[in-house]
Amino acid sequence: MTVPITLLGMVIAVTVVLVSVTTAVVIGWRRFTRLRTDYRSIARNAIPSLALLGGVLAINSVVREVGVEVSWLIGWNITGDIYAIEGNLVPAIQSLAHPWLTTYFSLIYVYGYVFVLVFPLVAYLVLDDMEWFRTAAIAYALNYAIGLCLYLVFIAYGPRNLLPDLTEPLLYTNWPSSQFLVSEVNANTNVFPSLHTSLSVTVIALAYRTRRVYPRWLPIATLVGGSVVISTMYLAIHWGTDVVAGAILGVGCVWLARRIVRR
Amino acid sequence: MDSSDVSPTLSRRKLLGGVGFGAAVGSAGCLQYARSLTNRDSPEQVSVTIKTVPADDDEAAVQIARRLQKHMTTAGIDASIELVANTELLRDILLNQSFDVYVGQYPPQHDPDFLRPALHSRFVTEQGWQNPFGISDLGLDERLVDQRSTTTDDRQRAVTSATEAVGEIQPFAMACFPKDITVVRTDRFDNWSVDGLDRPINYLAVDRPADAPSEDPTTLRVVLTDDRITKNCNPIAVEYRGPNTLTKLLYDPLARQQGSEIRPWLATDVTWRRTADLGVTATVTLREGLSWHDGQNLTAADVVFTYRFLDDTSLGTGDMPVHSPRFRGRTSLVESVERLDDRTVRFGFGDTVETVAARALTVPMLPSHVWQEKTGETNIAGIDISEGITQALVWANTDPVGSGPLQFESRTPGEQVVFSRFDEHFLVGGGPDRFTIPFERFDVRVAPSDAAAVSLVTDGTVDATGSPVHPKVLDSVADSDSIETYMTDSRSFYHVGFNARREPFGNVRFRQAVARLLDSEYIASTVFEGYATPAATPLAGTAWEPTEFEWDGDDPFVPFAGSDGEIDVSEARDAFREAGYTYDDDGRLRG
Repeated sequence: MTVPITLLGMVIAVTVVLVSVTTAVVIGWRRFTRLRTDYRSIARNAIPSLALLGGVLAINSVVREVGVEVSWLIGWNITGDIYAIEGNLVPAIQSLAHPWLTTYFSLIYVYGYVFVLVFPLVAYLVLDDMEWFRTAAIAYALNYAIGLCLYLVFIAYGPRNLLPDLTEPLLYTNWPSSQFLVSEVNANTNVFPSLHTSLSVTVIALAYRTRRVYPRWLPIATLVGGSVVISTMYLAIHWGTDVVAGAILGVGCVWLARRIVRR
Repeated sequence: MDSSDVSPTLSRRKLLGGVGFGAAVGSAGCLQYARSLTNRDSPEQVSVTIKTVPADDDEAAVQIARRLQKHMTTAGIDASIELVANTELLRDILLNQSFDVYVGQYPPQHDPDFLRPALHSRFVTEQGWQNPFGISDLGLDERLVDQRSTTTDDRQRAVTSATEAVGEIQPFAMACFPKDITVVRTDRFDNWSVDGLDRPINYLAVDRPADAPSEDPTTLRVVLTDDRITKNCNPIAVEYRGPNTLTKLLYDPLARQQGSEIRPWLATDVTWRRTADLGVTATVTLREGLSWHDGQNLTAADVVFTYRFLDDTSLGTGDMPVHSPRFRGRTSLVESVERLDDRTVRFGFGDTVETVAARALTVPMLPSHVWQEKTGETNIAGIDISEGITQALVWANTDPVGSGPLQFESRTPGEQVVFSRFDEHFLVGGGPDRFTIPFERFDVRVAPSDAAAVSLVTDGTVDATGSPVHPKVLDSVADSDSIETYMTDSRSFYHVGFNARREPFGNVRFRQAVARLLDSEYIASTVFEGYATPAATPLAGTAWEPTEFEWDGDDPFVPFAGSDGEIDVSEARDAFREAGYTYDDDGRLRG
């Protein structure tokens, strides 16, 4: 599968615009100019944790290719169990569907998610104290690493794959090319836990911890991150169970990252 | 631990075992009573797992499974759905027989003889589409052999009688024959809808319109929603080959199925005779100057090799013969094969009707110089993992050498495979044959779903959808002069397969009662939005279909226990009661 270049370009362009605007509102340009003067020391401080995150992402992309085969060998197929636990929660959420909502959540799932992940890295990079940047990078890396292990152990298909009679894969019916991007990032057997949820919760938790530094970021992060969480179910990509597991994972990763950085 | 956490029998046994032990001290009579109690299993609720593929792979199959699950639940069965990827499903059904019930499509069939390998008891121990259902019924066996043999003066009568037996036995519950929906662009290639040519051979017959934009090389682009061809090009790897697999373009048979006819392909001539010692024989003459993609000559020796190899992929080197699970039904027709000269081979079919025997000529020819090295047993890192499996069955054949009109060029696993026109092929360059191939390259991409596949056609990235798309994506097909949608009747029927090796599916009455939970008429009109024809027999739509078993609004063997898709609870439950099953006070089916 090849990701449509136009879509990839759009994601990058939209992210740059959103991050720039939010930078102006949340960080303020004065603080941001610190990058110009202190870029050497900032880079020195940021590289180790960025390298860790990059390494985890690289392993992730390699393992993801063979991961599906591995999980069919050793994995536990829990799709039916998840459905037995939560029943028709996702169809209930989808019953509120409205074309505007669908457009909103589709944009949130693709663009909002990338934005909400990228902005904290920029925001924490310009702080005098690099602790939060390291925490964020490590928390992201933990999310991906633990998520990958869980994907190997659990095989689960999302509601759109089990319940085509009750749900509508709204994202893909309204915006088919987005599926090339999403399926490039993840296989359809990997829905438990929801990494969209866990990373959004990670960002919200970090925003809460840094609310004194960036008071304006907390409401934005909560709105966008919260919308990402809801979008996963609204678009019938994830089960409520995946979202709960993702939220636990997100909070856990922040806690763990704090401990690692403090040490 | 709460006693409700463990299964009732276990807890009861443990409990009674304990009680029995205590009582043993008191009285031997009481112990005997406890033992006779604990040695009896009380009936439990019947529990069934329905296996099928996720909606990304086949939405209709999931929808059918969901309806079946709903109706089973109504009938008091504890039913759940297990989604597995398409290769895993085929592994579970065809190689390991680890399933209760599955929902899927049967490989396309034209002649009733396919029922013989599918249901004859002597194929129960074999793999592939050879009796995966585990059916063994002497009466059915006899009828299946009858329809093949020439002693039956009237084959139609034998076929009718076999069809009736299949309908009563219900090894699988028939749902419907779908229409294959294809979305194409006509600005670069047209004349897509070719009657009588089966997929994917019909790609060879497209035309290049005069006003098509010139390009170099001329490339036909197709998108599939199934990535198996990008990972494995082995024509006999049963779990990697869906219906209408592209390996048909890489490997040529002696004769091809075209519509309901079988026409010579690599052969120029097939002469049928009867002899006293061989029964029905076919003398096949190959075309002149045939060659494999690697430049070696294709001769009668390769043909003889192919049939011997498919019959035993170990070529006698193993402890036992290892049949190729694909094409086994067809190769089992061949009783003898001998090379008369470099271009002539004679087959002996024994007591077989000519039309049935001709099926044996449709298997792909394999180059002996490639495949004879694949007779060894499989091992991983030198460790023998299983006996009776040869490398031939499991290797991925990622650089396939065939003799077909297309040859392998390059691939990116999971994403793309590119073939190119084989210019040495007898079809290429015109001549007396039916078509020339108007493209030099054949580019196959993979999309994650039907909707995504159709979007690639509408935005001009590809020329056609190569796997059938679900009717619901037609809404997103833009009205445009250069986009066309066309339908063909598929010969791959949707069905619910039962595993008779597992209780309670070994019970024919139980299978019939479950089959009555399937509302084929309603499924065809809703799940397939009318782009499907409900059917009671797998021969529906062919000349062989017995008129008395045609679909007349309901299934003549197992009528739906309800109407208009609404199940009638008491009717459904009565069917199970008549089969000898009981219901408890909570309405659960016990067995």
